[in-house]
Amino acid sequence: MPDTVQSHIALPVDVAVPRSRAADTARTLVRAGSLLAFVAVFAAFAAAAPGFLSAGNLANVVGQSAVIGVLALGMTLVVVAGGNDVVRGGIDLSVANNLGLCAAVYATGLGAGWGDGAALAATALAGLLVGAVNAVSVVWLGILPLLATLAAMNVCAGLELVLTHNTVVAASSPLLDVLSGEYPAGVPVLGEVLLGVAALLAVVLHLTPAGLRLYAVGGHREAARAAGLPVASYVAASYLGSGLCAAVASVLSVALLSGSTTGSGDMLLAAVVTALLGVVFSRRLVATIPGTLLSALFIGILINGFQLLNISSYWVNGVQGVLILLVVAATSMLRPNAG
Amino acid sequence: MSSRYALVAALVAVFAFFSVATTTFLTPGNLESILVNNFALLAIVSLGMTLAIAAGGIDLSVGTAIDIASLIFVSAVAAHVAMPLAVLGGLAGGLLVGAFNAGLIAGLRITPFLATLGTLFIGQSVQQLSTSGGQPIYLITGHVPPVFAFIGHGTVLGIPFAMIVVGGCAAIFATILGRSLFGRRVEALGAQPGVAWYSGLRVSRDTAWVYLLGSLVCAIAGILLSCTVRAYVPLSGNAYLLNAIGATFLGTTFSRVGRPNVAGTLLGVLLLNIVANGLLLIGWNFYWQQVGSGVLIFLVLVVSFGGGRARSTRAA
Repeated sequence: MPDTVQSHIALPVDVAVPRSRAADTARTLVRAGSLLAFVAVFAAFAAAAPGFLSAGNLANVVGQSAVIGVLALGMTLVVVAGGNDVVRGGIDLSVANNLGLCAAVYATGLGAGWGDGAALAATALAGLLVGAVNAVSVVWLGILPLLATLAAMNVCAGLELVLTHNTVVAASSPLLDVLSGEYPAGVPVLGEVLLGVAALLAVVLHLTPAGLRLYAVGGHREAARAAGLPVASYVAASYLGSGLCAAVASVLSVALLSGSTTGSGDMLLAAVVTALLGVVFSRRLVATIPGTLLSALFIGILINGFQLLNISSYWVNGVQGVLILLVVAATSMLRPNAG
Repeated sequence: MSSRYALVAALVAVFAFFSVATTTFLTPGNLESILVNNFALLAIVSLGMTLAIAAGGIDLSVGTAIDIASLIFVSAVAAHVAMPLAVLGGLAGGLLVGAFNAGLIAGLRITPFLATLGTLFIGQSVQQLSTSGGQPIYLITGHVPPVFAFIGHGTVLGIPFAMIVVGGCAAIFATILGRSLFGRRVEALGAQPGVAWYSGLRVSRDTAWVYLLGSLVCAIAGILLSCTVRAYVPLSGNAYLLNAIGATFLGTTFSRVGRPNVAGTLLGVLLLNIVANGLLLIGWNFYWQQVGSGVLIFLVLVVSFGGGRARSTRAA
């Protein structure tokens, strides 16, 4: 009879234990369970709230999830490339304030009489610039992502205030009219943009060699480097992608609110939660584009259902918090030797 | 230049710069105002954060502990509960938040980032629901016990009361983290959680204490805050979160081995406060201040992580 105690001790410290069949089954259960929860919540709202299931309402949910959704998709890229250890792995705390800064750039640009093209270009440039600063400080200066993006977040918040003087900058343009409209009738364009961005990123991340390499870089950086991947470029690209997503989300937010508004920093935690919650919708419990999209829609459905049922919106945060904890407790129980 | 002294050098540099650049910075009144109005609360909150980060975790729910303590304390005072009981109630409220975190992290093994993020969200709902969406609770002047003025603005032998609290908490935390057996175990947890576990340390129990102690100092900060503003303002504690994280990590550059430490954290808090105050005095408006302090934090990080490839991989 083999000595089981010894086999425990012989394990290398802090290295993942090979997957067992039991763990696989448990993973499947969690994934099935969270999909089931999604369906259950959906069914409960469908039964209790008249009008929830109408096509118009569902399309609205997608439209209202667009801003947070695109932001969380960008965060997903960073999490994939950096690994899912939130303190030392990939995280981009600057996304929400980057959105605020980009929205300010776009709205003030339009206000200064620029055309849509010039304003859009400036907005994209601003988003990419923030992403580039993050990339340089994380990849080449070796600063912890949590810290580097925290500093970038502060700078973005300040620059946004400098541009807007902490006021709402109203904006209108032909592009914004299209974005805030419904085409074809009843389908918010914002929702289509969300689905379009998600589809694009899903193709890049899940169907191309580059996407697979991004997962390799995040999964085991040393192994990826040993295999000859340009690790630094991949991680840097993920921050640039996240910055660009923030720029896209900022245009959507300007369209939704008819201008740039203050307080966009409050969206940070929602974006983090959306990206991390999406993990449960994937088979291997990693961040994926469809997973993040589903979790953005899930939270959108919760908010919408609560509104229809006349439940105070003050409950939404709490329910979100409990959800995170449930999800994470379930997934961390699957990790052997979590101590 | 040893990167270890980047933080001290930055502190001396900004202090000297603002002393020369403005006539108002280097006055006793202004320096005291920095310490009492800005330094004290952030320093207390950052102590808890330092312990959590030293243990390899993080506490995103510091604001929740501050707010819940403030909510219970102010409600109790408004209901004419005796002052000592109100303070105890506030501390208990803060500890409740810590106990919740401890249960999630030590009991259910949820990663600290996500566990405390969950607590933060739940805390937001609790506060919104109990204040009909965020209505502050103000204490009417007649209801405020005289001891409020002492806690908020009083002095003992010329030393502001808030600074005495900071000094006491800092001394205790420095002893705990730097000189006690518990502190050594916390360091082990933070440096090598796997090794700590295999070495037979009672990881869960120590982790639980880390979050309980952290929430206790946040509760103290919450009560001090309530005494100063004579009110409970919902969701106001979150303002300290990012600065506390920033100060703690700035402080790690002060340690020879790049670990969180109380002295470094206090220097980090001081740096953030001095920069904010100084930029205000040289006439930068609030907006540019934020840009300025962000850039400065960034520079300190760059200097101390500079050529820090080796360090960052070692930390991972």
